[in-house]
Amino acid sequence: MSVPPLLNIENLKTYFYSKGRQAFIRSVDDVSFEIRRGETLGVVGESGSGKSVMALSVMGLVGAAPGVVAGRIGLKTDGIRKNLLQDLDDYVERVEADGRVVEVRKDVVGWQKNVERLMAMVRGKTVAMIFQNPKSSLNPFLSVGRQITEAIRLHTPCKGKAESRERALYWLERVRMDSPRLRYDNYPRALSGGMCQRAMVAMVLSCEPSFLIADEPTTGLDATIQSRIADLLAELKADLGVTTMLISHDIGIIRRLSDSVAVMYGGMVVEYGPAGKVLAAGPESGHPYTAALLASVPDERNIRGKEPLQAIPGDVPDTIHVPNGCRFYGRCVRVTAAVDKECASLLPPLSEITPGHAVRCWLYEGS
Amino acid sequence: MRKRYVQAPGRSDEASGLRFLRKADAVDLFFVGYGLLIVVLVAASYAAGVFRLLPYDPEAVNLGLMLAPPGTAGHLLGTDFMGRDLLSRLILGIQAYFLPGLLAVAVAIVPGAALGVLAGYGAGRADRVITWFSNLVDSFPRLVLILLVVAAFKPDIYFIMVVVGLTNVPATVSLVKVKIRFLREKNFIEAAEGLGLPRRTIVLKHILWHHCRASLIIRATLGMGEAILMETSLSYLGFGVQEPTPSWGNMVQSGANYFLQGNFWPSTVPALAILLSILGFHLLGDGLNNLLERKAVH
Repeated sequence: MSVPPLLNIENLKTYFYSKGRQAFIRSVDDVSFEIRRGETLGVVGESGSGKSVMALSVMGLVGAAPGVVAGRIGLKTDGIRKNLLQDLDDYVERVEADGRVVEVRKDVVGWQKNVERLMAMVRGKTVAMIFQNPKSSLNPFLSVGRQITEAIRLHTPCKGKAESRERALYWLERVRMDSPRLRYDNYPRALSGGMCQRAMVAMVLSCEPSFLIADEPTTGLDATIQSRIADLLAELKADLGVTTMLISHDIGIIRRLSDSVAVMYGGMVVEYGPAGKVLAAGPESGHPYTAALLASVPDERNIRGKEPLQAIPGDVPDTIHVPNGCRFYGRCVRVTAAVDKECASLLPPLSEITPGHAVRCWLYEGS
Repeated sequence: MRKRYVQAPGRSDEASGLRFLRKADAVDLFFVGYGLLIVVLVAASYAAGVFRLLPYDPEAVNLGLMLAPPGTAGHLLGTDFMGRDLLSRLILGIQAYFLPGLLAVAVAIVPGAALGVLAGYGAGRADRVITWFSNLVDSFPRLVLILLVVAAFKPDIYFIMVVVGLTNVPATVSLVKVKIRFLREKNFIEAAEGLGLPRRTIVLKHILWHHCRASLIIRATLGMGEAILMETSLSYLGFGVQEPTPSWGNMVQSGANYFLQGNFWPSTVPALAILLSILGFHLLGDGLNNLLERKAVH
């Protein structure tokens, strides 16, 4: 009946083993969602809530030796649905003793080989990623043009020198780089942060991927450039219809570009649904964390009225000794006596409150 | 000695090619030019040897003209204790170190870079094994090792130079390894992986060629200087090139017997040649480094 999603993530768990503490750091813990073709999914959450690690898991870039990825990431490429995590868990062996993980043995070489095999036709071609720090994402020793043509020659039928140059110039123009012909021969150090990000976007889009991951594309840029890059992304989204996963702290850009939104907290998705419903939620609807996050965005009253910003008290939860109950318990201001016991001791399930809008909170259970 | 230059955006469409020369420092150009002069002299030596352009046969004894001082008619640099023309011997002596030196450099750089990539990019076990071995080689006194090899095998100069090259492998390994470790933390390697560039391209092009090129050239030129020193030392000690074939080392050695009698030139001339050649190779590396690095300072 409905269109099958382009990407579906099921029970993704990305853990890093900490030798010193003999435990897993649960950076991404049981995350599931799906993105349909042409849709933009916004992922919001505080620093350390697992957004970036989730994106890297999709790209198969969790290469660090102690990293363990489990679950299922289904991606449709060339009409075939592929599991990007196929058999990866076979390369990892956990040794446990009285409830503690004493040792994790990982066949790193085999793991890498398998990842490479799985990602061979995926990276760049089907899924491409924009990283958060544009200045260091470009090779400082290669001119911008050469880096873009390299990607073009690799992923598109344009192989010739003049042909790929034309293509690169087209994309540089497309991302509204000023004087693209001059920038083509520049080295990254001659470009500003915003221009580097435009070059990065041009490079990524020139491969014509069907799925784009933008990991905080506007972080580290100044405010006017941020809004320009957001304009650019909105324009490209309207023109090209690339399916996008947009990760950001910036509620504004998420609100503007996303069709649906996933709110992450402590490595988990706490709220998931259409952008309008999730982000429009007033203080009494949706997940308390989302409400707190929205309340902490500066608005008219804070800027003009000098009213202090509303911060969320406390810290992001420890991802090693995860609490038994709700991860937001302790910082939540909406705990009522009726649900307090459950909140403290049982992890709430992610359940729908209205069709398509799911919240992980005891307040909405049983009502 | 790194200098920072800002590239004016408007100039980038100029035909590149020799553009970088205009921005080069006179000093760097001097270094490179001096180094190249040494290289040209090497080439000249081979040309002279092949086409018989030497003023005299370097091995021809002329007992009537022993220890003639520099400037003697026909003998620009004078003659040695057997009346052999010093200039001819000096020119041919270049051949004693050059090819063996190249071999030593190749042996140090090529396997060194490959092992460095393995250690830096590969997984933990490869790194541990390679690092262990290079520490082992590094911890052994070099001259002792080479003298042991000479005593045990009575090898020719090429064999000795392979050993010299092998003792230099650890330095190349750690150089490349450290570079890769440092670069792996940078986003652009991750971004290149994310773009689906094959690992071969990333390692060969982005890491080895664009980031390690300058350091490897420096290592190579330093290695060349070292190889000259090693060859001349061994020939001086009588383990390398044997008389009557000229080598700067055995020229210094045989000339040294007459030094205190006031005949300084038979030993001083080749000693100066050694000094200036080693200096030349070092400066060549330094100058090239500055010219190549200038293109892309972070």
